[in-house]
Amino acid sequence: MTERFDVVVVGAGPAGSMAALTLARAGRSVCLLERGPFPGSKNLYGGVIYGRVLDEILPRWIDEAPIERWVTRRVTMVLTETQSLAVDFRSSAWGAKPYNGATALRPEFDSWLASEAEKAGAVLVCSTTATGLLLDERGRTTGVRTDRPGGDIEAGVVIACDGVNAFLAKQAGLTSTEDPSHYTLGVKEVLALAPDEIERRFGLEPGEGADFEVIGGTGGIAGGGFLYTNRETVSVGLVLSIEGLSRSETRPEQLLAEFKSHPAIRPLVAGGDVVEYGAHLIPEAGLAMMPRLAGDGILVAGDAAGMCLAAGIWLEGVNFAMASGAAAGEAAAEALERGDTSAGGLRGYRKRLEANFVLADHRRLKRAPHLVLSDRMQHQYPQLVCNLVEEIFTVRNPSPKQGIVAQARQERRKAGVRLRDLARDGWSAWRTFR
Amino acid sequence: MRRPLFAACWKVVELRSSIDPLTGEVTPDHLSLGVSRSDEAALEWALRSAARWGGGVRLVTAGSAKTEAALRQGAAVGATELLRVDLPIDWPSDWIARAVAPHLADADLVWCGDMSTDRGSGAFPAYLAAELGISQALGLIGVELNGPDGPAGSDGPDKGLGFEALRRLDGGRRERLSIGARAVLSCEGATTRLRRASLDGVLVARDAPIAVRVGSRGTTVAPAVASIAPFRPRARVVEPPAGPTARERIRSLTGADAAGRTARAITLNPREAAVAILEALGSWGELPAGLSGERAGDLP
Ligand SMILES: Cc1cc2nc3c(=O)[nH]c(=O)nc-3n(C[C@H](O)[C@H](O)[C@H](O)COP(=O)(O)OP(=O)(O)OC[C@H]3O[C@@H](n4cnc5c(N)ncnc54)[C@H](O)[C@@H]3O)c2cc1C
Repeated sequence: MTERFDVVVVGAGPAGSMAALTLARAGRSVCLLERGPFPGSKNLYGGVIYGRVLDEILPRWIDEAPIERWVTRRVTMVLTETQSLAVDFRSSAWGAKPYNGATALRPEFDSWLASEAEKAGAVLVCSTTATGLLLDERGRTTGVRTDRPGGDIEAGVVIACDGVNAFLAKQAGLTSTEDPSHYTLGVKEVLALAPDEIERRFGLEPGEGADFEVIGGTGGIAGGGFLYTNRETVSVGLVLSIEGLSRSETRPEQLLAEFKSHPAIRPLVAGGDVVEYGAHLIPEAGLAMMPRLAGDGILVAGDAAGMCLAAGIWLEGVNFAMASGAAAGEAAAEALERGDTSAGGLRGYRKRLEANFVLADHRRLKRAPHLVLSDRMQHQYPQLVCNLVEEIFTVRNPSPKQGIVAQARQERRKAGVRLRDLARDGWSAWRTFR
Repeated sequence: MRRPLFAACWKVVELRSSIDPLTGEVTPDHLSLGVSRSDEAALEWALRSAARWGGGVRLVTAGSAKTEAALRQGAAVGATELLRVDLPIDWPSDWIARAVAPHLADADLVWCGDMSTDRGSGAFPAYLAAELGISQALGLIGVELNGPDGPAGSDGPDKGLGFEALRRLDGGRRERLSIGARAVLSCEGATTRLRRASLDGVLVARDAPIAVRVGSRGTTVAPAVASIAPFRPRARVVEPPAGPTARERIRSLTGADAAGRTARAITLNPREAAVAILEALGSWGELPAGLSGERAGDLP
């Protein structure tokens, strides 16, 4: 027997639940399929959610969403093997409404978001995997096949929010060739620590949280690290270039163990019992990897569309997934209303993404992934900067202090950085982040 | 003729918990509510019973409203009636059995799992059988529903509802049972696997009605305890160890010199391997008389 809905959304992550919520509110029948036993059970991320997207759609989210801590301290850190240099920013404004970032655990957060979609009328079906698309004789998407007996679902539109592997977009022919350099592997441990101990170590008040983004500390592999505080756990992890990792023939958990024992990280995590370990791919290449966003009868949103923003000091995926999911939901509702669910009829999706931050941010930062993962950014510059700072602050009496510019020149030479490359990267960074 | 009714009892619990390494405090993961593999197997046997003899399947759980989502999963695979007995799940098993029993008085067979994931007392099926005043067959490790109908001599309303099951006993022993009367049965999770619900089943089950009855523990009569003493099994008389020296006596006592069941790696073709296995089993006394290595020669 075949079921029929106006729309079937595959994946109850942030993108899928937002799409389902938007459609249900528009009065459409929508089935939200999730392969895990409950939303969020299969999902892994670092830990910080930016909720501005939710303000309009779920205005009471601040009081209702399962938030662990509100981020009031943001540290950007550069690590070499023995040194660390950090920009440590705090804002008490971030500790009050409307807040900025929040740490949340995905099983809780995704379950909450999906339950909002259900409240609006979406039909959530868990423990059910979409195994492929149903296509008509002209190759248009007409629904999905699931792994349940009698598990075909016909729909006017399929919204593929199935995450980074994007099997459905691939089947629909929306993705071009796959390039491993477009992906990184995120590995993470969750360590249990008492709440007051977390507050003491990270210098926080109860309810406040810290967000550490780290460049370096990855055993020479392109990537970075992160450290986030939850209520009674700390999430610590690495993001590693897949190619670098496979070339290094090192296990990611070994790199994570080394990261945790770095002198700048160890005091923050020491003694924490590992309560969770996980790994997950991240689509890192932004615009360079984005598939066609719409086909006949199908839209792609969230990580499945490569919408995670991974630009060095920013790793934001959940807000991009929620915004793209909501836009896909609106576009699908509009197309159904007009009775045209062809790729052309669904073009309202791209228009919406162009009009909000999703594609604007990706455009603005389109060079960032390449720049941030480049060898000089990853290895030479962190070493150069840390050595320079060490030199500046090392007191060598009775020798007099050297001029900072002279020291910088010396350190640049020692680090083997050519002036030409420095200028080029500086220009590139200026163009990327201006 | 009355249509038979089969029941399955589920204990819905959090399948995962985190344990504070410092305080030992257990925090159940509220998102993981579900049932054990053996409870799932119990429902599968109830469904198969209904397929074999006709009739409906009543799925019963005791607890708060948060158990209802799990109960609906039972409807998705074919349970025809859902019933929740509203009571605090931390009641002792005898109270729960007393509260649930009135709602199973019309059931022909009541299937339970032999253990819940929260490692409860495991006593509920026995208490339930006592409350219902019917037989019990607990710890089933094998069920053959498709045997000949009814054991000889079964009569009354149960006529025809007969099948065989294998039951676990202490000390690794087994008991083959012929079940032909109303009974409470508890099964291990390995006996079978719950079927996968169809998509249609899952969608329909979302609106399946759940009858809710308020559980009453009735009056509790505490069992009379005559005396309490430590468990001291009676001593077994064994031959004194043989041998002139202490060392030899220890060896004989521990069986170190006996031809043991030490592992040996041998490479044989399948037929020779079967013969060797039967010989080994025979020499260890594991085969019934008449079936030994010698008979292995008759193998095709
Ligand atoms: C280590 C790491 C750290 C990160 N840190 C952050 C951070 O701090 N902040 C941030 O904003 N972002 C972060 N991200 C990125 C963020 O996790 C993703 O961008 C975001 O989760 C994307 O949401 P989504 O809904 O598109 O996909 P997902 O969250 O991956 O959800 C996809 C859902 O689809 C389901 N699914 C998949 N296939 C099927 C199928 N065939 N049938 C049915 N269901 C299916 C999955 O089970 C899953 O629930 C991080 C990612 C990683 C890996």
